[in-house]
Amino acid sequence: MEQALRVANLKKNYGKFEALHSISFEVAPGEIFALIGPNGAGKTTTLRIVATILQPTSGTVHVYGMDVQKDAARIREIISYLPEEAGAYKNLTGVGYLTFMAELFASDPAVQHEYIQRASDITGLGERLNDKIGTYSKGMTRKLLLSRTVMTHPKLAIIDEPTSGLDVVAAIDIRESIRSASADGMAVLLSSHNMLEIEYLSDRVAIIDRGTIHDIGTPQGLKEKYRKSNLEEVFVEVVQQ
Amino acid sequence: MRRFLVILKKELREMLTWQTLMPIILVMVIYSFLGQVINTEQKKQAAPQPITVVDFDHTATSQALTGTLDKVNFKVTTYTEGTVEDAVHRANADNSSAVLVVPQGFERGILAHKPQEVQTYTIMRNFSLVGMTGSVNLDAALSAMNQYIGDQYIRSAAPGLDPAVVRQAISRRSFVTVGTRVAEADPQSIAGIVTQQTMVIPIVLMLVIILASQMIAASIAGEKENKTLETLLSTPVARGALVTAKMTASGIVALVSAAAYMVGMKSYMGSLIGDTGGTSTGVSQAIQKLGLVFNAQGYVLLGLSVFAGIMVALSISVILGAFAEDLKSVQVMIAPLMMVVLVPYLMTMFIDINTTSPVLRWLIYAIPFSHPFLAAQYIFAHNFIAVIAGIVYQFILFVVFASIAARIFSTDRILTMKLNTAGRMRRGSWTIGREGISFRRRK
Ligand SMILES: Nc1ncnc2c1ncn2[C@@H]1O[C@H](COP(=O)(O)OP(=O)(O)O)[C@@H](O)[C@H]1O
Ligand SMILES: [Mg+2]
Repeated sequence: MEQALRVANLKKNYGKFEALHSISFEVAPGEIFALIGPNGAGKTTTLRIVATILQPTSGTVHVYGMDVQKDAARIREIISYLPEEAGAYKNLTGVGYLTFMAELFASDPAVQHEYIQRASDITGLGERLNDKIGTYSKGMTRKLLLSRTVMTHPKLAIIDEPTSGLDVVAAIDIRESIRSASADGMAVLLSSHNMLEIEYLSDRVAIIDRGTIHDIGTPQGLKEKYRKSNLEEVFVEVVQQ
Repeated sequence: MRRFLVILKKELREMLTWQTLMPIILVMVIYSFLGQVINTEQKKQAAPQPITVVDFDHTATSQALTGTLDKVNFKVTTYTEGTVEDAVHRANADNSSAVLVVPQGFERGILAHKPQEVQTYTIMRNFSLVGMTGSVNLDAALSAMNQYIGDQYIRSAAPGLDPAVVRQAISRRSFVTVGTRVAEADPQSIAGIVTQQTMVIPIVLMLVIILASQMIAASIAGEKENKTLETLLSTPVARGALVTAKMTASGIVALVSAAAYMVGMKSYMGSLIGDTGGTSTGVSQAIQKLGLVFNAQGYVLLGLSVFAGIMVALSISVILGAFAEDLKSVQVMIAPLMMVVLVPYLMTMFIDINTTSPVLRWLIYAIPFSHPFLAAQYIFAHNFIAVIAGIVYQFILFVVFASIAARIFSTDRILTMKLNTAGRMRRGSWTIGREGISFRRRK
């Protein structure tokens, strides 16, 4: 079966600084795959390259067989990207924002309507969707943006730090939304520096530190391999090797 | 195209908020209001001026003088009794601001052909600019009286000679020529009207360029700060459509505000030039005849020049906005552009481009924003080549800057490039954080 995402020997330089040293991993359709590692590890850099907004310095990235450099336009039709700490247009209402994004993806009004409906259901914001986004809390904005990310039925969703800065209740809510959205076949590439939450959310994880992927596996498999009780301890063990 | 329109709609909705519209509306209202106020003040000036005459002479001559003042638009109140102090006191109470005292023995002195003296008192109670110029009118009173006495002397010394001929044996008809056209007109009033037209455009243009540049740079920097730009860049919108939609939206806002400013300014300027209730038919006919009005061709050229100037400013602002990391740094990024707009604005106001030194002249020509400022002057002077050359130059610059902007947006520079003054990478160094380029500032 064709992989949703195939990253092979990917390198990225910012000037002379090499942020990614030849990383490789694959994500299957319907799988939730997480990059875990501390700040500055290169997670956002990887996600931006997959989202076609940064160019690789060397190596290849294929999304459903399409190359991020040659087929960027076609890839953009089937992916959806939610940046870390993203905001939305403060002068638009929640519905206004969803409408704007739906119109960007679909030309058929019926399809647009379906997208907006799906997103509104996932947000759970109800009447507040008619208020300006400037009046939303951080959790509400994140929920709105996450709903926008999955409303177009992307074949690959790229989500950077889905719950950073959110309180526990909002974080659990977001995690559940990601889980249920991936249930109908959407592949997810996400990143987090919160290794505990990733255990509950992801099918497989890659441990990344200072631009290098040290190991890849299921949370359960990694814990057994290194004989640790949680991923945080696994991470410390792996990175110290 | 469809996605371009979706983005354009969103940009307009973002830009046309009360925060952005309020300053425009305010400027428009303030200027029209100022114009109205100045107009009514000037009308007040044209109404008969009250003057109090204290006549201690009680003679035919002194009474005739009072009559003369009536004819030159004074509303005269005469006292023949009491002291000067009383008269001033009463004049003050009547809200009159001028008192003229004709001393006893005035007629006798005139008949003896001796120079006479009257005293005038000006009551100052209003220290506004318009209020204080009121005192000048006493000169009009004095010269009317002198003329009356002078006429009397001429009549008695040379009967049969018309005093008007003695006063003004030579009169003139004045003509103004522009290019090959000639019209009979007063050069002062022609100059006044032309100045009015050529001054409004630079002021409005400067305001609009500053407004539009800030708007688009803030829009891009704001999207970078909010990460909404990253989201947009990962959607199927063409990068070119993204940039052009932003430029079109701020261009539309610029044109709307230009129209608003124009309305406000015209009323204000009109009042400054003393253009109460339209120019007189004689002057406006002369203006027509001299070709000092914009015909369709003139308007098209001026419009193109202004449009090109705004487009150059917008394309530069896109690049500056891309360098800014957040909204706060936009003002700093855009400051150099503001200087470049202000320089030709001031220069074209205070320097005659035709007589200044060649170095300065070419410097002014090199700045793209000089051309819209100069266009009106050149169109009036029928120097169309200069106007068209300016427009072509501006469009070339626009194409250059717009392609740089498009390149920035179509590569990852839009996300990675920033002027790093905080010295995140190396202390004391300026770095444009992208592959290959890094400038080091020596300490
Ligand atoms: N635009 C940039 N210019 C220079 N260096 C950058 C840039 N973006 C990221 N980096 C550097 O690349 C490394 C990886 O960053 P990033 O991918 O954001 O890490 P993470 O998301 O895992 O915290 C960091 O050392 C960071 O400082
Ligand atoms: Mg990150």
